[in-house]
Amino acid sequence: MWKYVKKLEYPINITKKDLNMAKNMMAQYGGPDSELGAALRYLNQRYTMPDEKGFALLTDIGTEELAHFEMIATMIQQLMKGATIEELKEYNLSGYYTQHDHANFPIDTNGVPFTTSYIEATGDYWADLESDMAAEQRAKVTYEKLINQTNDPDVIGPLSFLRQREVVHYNRFKELRDYYINKFKG
Amino acid sequence: MYNYYNYFNNVNFQKQNLRNMDYQNDNLFNPYQGLVRGNIFKNLYQPYKNEKIYEIKPMNEQAKILTDIDALEFAMIDLNLYLDVNPDDQKAIEIYNMYRIENEELLKFYQERFGPLLLNSDVLNNMPWMWDNKPWPWEN
Repeated sequence: MWKYVKKLEYPINITKKDLNMAKNMMAQYGGPDSELGAALRYLNQRYTMPDEKGFALLTDIGTEELAHFEMIATMIQQLMKGATIEELKEYNLSGYYTQHDHANFPIDTNGVPFTTSYIEATGDYWADLESDMAAEQRAKVTYEKLINQTNDPDVIGPLSFLRQREVVHYNRFKELRDYYINKFKG
Repeated sequence: MYNYYNYFNNVNFQKQNLRNMDYQNDNLFNPYQGLVRGNIFKNLYQPYKNEKIYEIKPMNEQAKILTDIDALEFAMIDLNLYLDVNPDDQKAIEIYNMYRIENEELLKFYQERFGPLLLNSDVLNNMPWMWDNKPWPWEN
């Protein structure tokens, strides 16, 4: 089961409205390499890991991804806070306003809805862990492109934190893959 | 154990105390330095281009203590992932438990003053029900 902690993993306090960045951030909310996808990917794969090390690591990284999903949601909420219909229209968000108003909704930055075809669970540890490593790399690159598009330290701080988490997760998945390859060789 | 009543006089708590409470460890950043980097493992730290460190600037005492909780819990998250794959590292288990015990104390201190972060908090034995109270995590 899961328990809620009424705080974020890393503090977010964005005071400058930025609809362009709000729209860009949706890549990590409902896009192919989003935090939502990451959480669902690991939490579905964990059942077919070969042993407890895999059960633990995929449970714990999957859980952390849910906390990152909440961080992205918070960033979108704060970046869009107080936006008028006119301002939303200016940033091509009038379609978003029509369907979702100021609610959060998992679509990507181009408006494509989240789909489970973004994630994978093959039942094979080697295939799954390599796909997880690649997913972490793709998310890391997405964060770099987000960082490239803003000068606001209140936005770059959490983006840098999230980017670095991809680095750590990549290395843990790699460590686990190498451990299994060694354990099951021959 | 820290004297929390001196806490408010120490404006740089998260930069001083958390550093002092660290084991002398060449491999790990302290909890606060880990939090601002997103990584407590020095050997894995990989900054982006000429990335600088974005300090967390809490706006009041409540936010300051919450940042310390953030830092300790972050260190625990990062050590937990490491220990999942390296369960025989005695030193890492000791550091994890040091942060865990310190965080329990700090959580209790915070929740008594500012309201519950967890549904097992003692402060939920009050009328009216305090779980609803502001701030919610996404509010700035």
